[in-house]
Amino acid sequence: MSEAERGLSRRGLVKMLGLASGGIAVSRWFGPVAAMAQEPTGGKAVESFTGPGANPHWNSVGPYVAEPQKVPLILLTDRPVQLETPRHYFRTAFTPNEAFYVRWHLEGIPNGVDLKDWKLKVEGNVEKPLALSLPELMRKFKPVSLAAVNQCSGNSRSRLQPRVPGGQWGNGAMGNAMWTGVRLRELLDIAGVKSGSLQVQFQGLETGQGPKGLGSNLFLKSLDLGNPVLDECVVAYLMNGEPLPMLNGFPVRLVVPGYFATYWTKCLTWIRVLNAPDENFWMKTGYRVPDTPRGNTTPEDVKAGKVKTVPIERFPVRSFLISPDGSSKIPAGMNITLRGIAFSGFGRVNRVEVSDDGGKSWVAAKLGEDQGAYSFRTWEMPWTAMAPGRYTLAVRATDEKGSTQPDEPVWNPGGYLWNRIERQEIVVGNGS
Amino acid sequence: MKNRGPAVFLVVCGVAMAAGVVYAELKKGYYRPEELGSMRQAARTELSPDSNYQVPAYPVPAGDLKPGDGLQDVQIYCNTCHSPRYITMQPPLPAATWEAEVDKMNKSFGAAIPEENTQRIILYLKAHYTAENRKQ
Repeated sequence: MSEAERGLSRRGLVKMLGLASGGIAVSRWFGPVAAMAQEPTGGKAVESFTGPGANPHWNSVGPYVAEPQKVPLILLTDRPVQLETPRHYFRTAFTPNEAFYVRWHLEGIPNGVDLKDWKLKVEGNVEKPLALSLPELMRKFKPVSLAAVNQCSGNSRSRLQPRVPGGQWGNGAMGNAMWTGVRLRELLDIAGVKSGSLQVQFQGLETGQGPKGLGSNLFLKSLDLGNPVLDECVVAYLMNGEPLPMLNGFPVRLVVPGYFATYWTKCLTWIRVLNAPDENFWMKTGYRVPDTPRGNTTPEDVKAGKVKTVPIERFPVRSFLISPDGSSKIPAGMNITLRGIAFSGFGRVNRVEVSDDGGKSWVAAKLGEDQGAYSFRTWEMPWTAMAPGRYTLAVRATDEKGSTQPDEPVWNPGGYLWNRIERQEIVVGNGS
Repeated sequence: MKNRGPAVFLVVCGVAMAAGVVYAELKKGYYRPEELGSMRQAARTELSPDSNYQVPAYPVPAGDLKPGDGLQDVQIYCNTCHSPRYITMQPPLPAATWEAEVDKMNKSFGAAIPEENTQRIILYLKAHYTAENRKQ
């Protein structure tokens, strides 16, 4: 629209307002004004599933459900419970407990814990087995706090092509919290790990209907005793300064900074030192990724039995645009602020770049406060689109190890390790 | 002074009504009966200062499995360990993938579904949840 036309329409509006205030409003004179308002239709629900193409939405497509201690979250499954955090809760570096995503494996998840009976056990191949009550954990040990991202191994699984079975997460199977608790190493040292020990196994309160010894009966995860991450692990009884929601692992959960959430055992109750490798389903079969760059492979190579796998470990660098989210138009010429988060399981994010031409050119964004190497780091950038149109915004992060998000997809049968550059279409409308 | 009160009131009303007409033309309040986005709030539970930390039961909203042969087998066997949303959440999957999933439940997870029922479950999943036949 030219400047002259804009001037005309503005004068027309002023004229009509003048007439109206004079009390001589006649509805047929309002034709041009009425044309500015469109009769709204009813809102539509998102589809109940996506595919066989990639899920085009930021989040998954399930309905909202209000679970105990939670705001309405996106339902993936109800028994066992899997809930996804809606996009807008990632505007801040710390994800509210009541909006934190939920992922259980077995249907026998606790509705309650009686702290009169509950004890954290350190057992197995140790000199002196321990059984500690929550007050003992809180008082006998120096509390440590650290900000750490908890991300599901299958976060963004619904992006993969071809699609793979499993929890069809959008991007919201992640969250960042300030975790406070006891150092795992301190507990292991007091119990005294016997020589010849190989791994430490973690078991929480979840149980399944399946036969003993199978993955459908217990969810068990182990880490090698030689793994330096054990020195960083925290047995957390506080999440953002509050008790953990039951669905996030009350009374304590294991925090494994930089590692995918599969190791972050909820309702942690048994810490077991093993003198033989853990060969249970969740280590030997589940949560494994191809031993290739980025864990990438092809359906053909899997079928041909060519793919050697290793247990999943740290999450690669990722970043997201959180707002605007593309759900409404932005008037041309308006100076808005783009906001988002970035993180990496390999250490601090030290660069976030934004593109508004789909990834051809990049501009560095301003990083928010550094909350620690394993935390979400917020970023923002002022942005003004002068011309109406459809803009493809893209964001990419680089971590302190120098790894930058790639623009190529990843594929593996488990649907893990997705960290491709994210894109968001933003519609800029005429300003007048 | 006294007599001008009603006159001022009338003028103010007139202006307000006229402005209202203009505003209504600019942006009307359209409403329609609709359930989209509506859900009930959960009531708070009674708490007592003892050592027991309890939350209410986890809700299981009604599922929407497709009607058809084998539905009952799915409801009986699959439902033992997980709700049917584990099926409806999936994207359309190739028939071979559904077979592999049921096989995983039986072998890796020890579901031990009788052979006859296993076959009916596989046929049901293939009939409703592949790219060829799955509908929104």
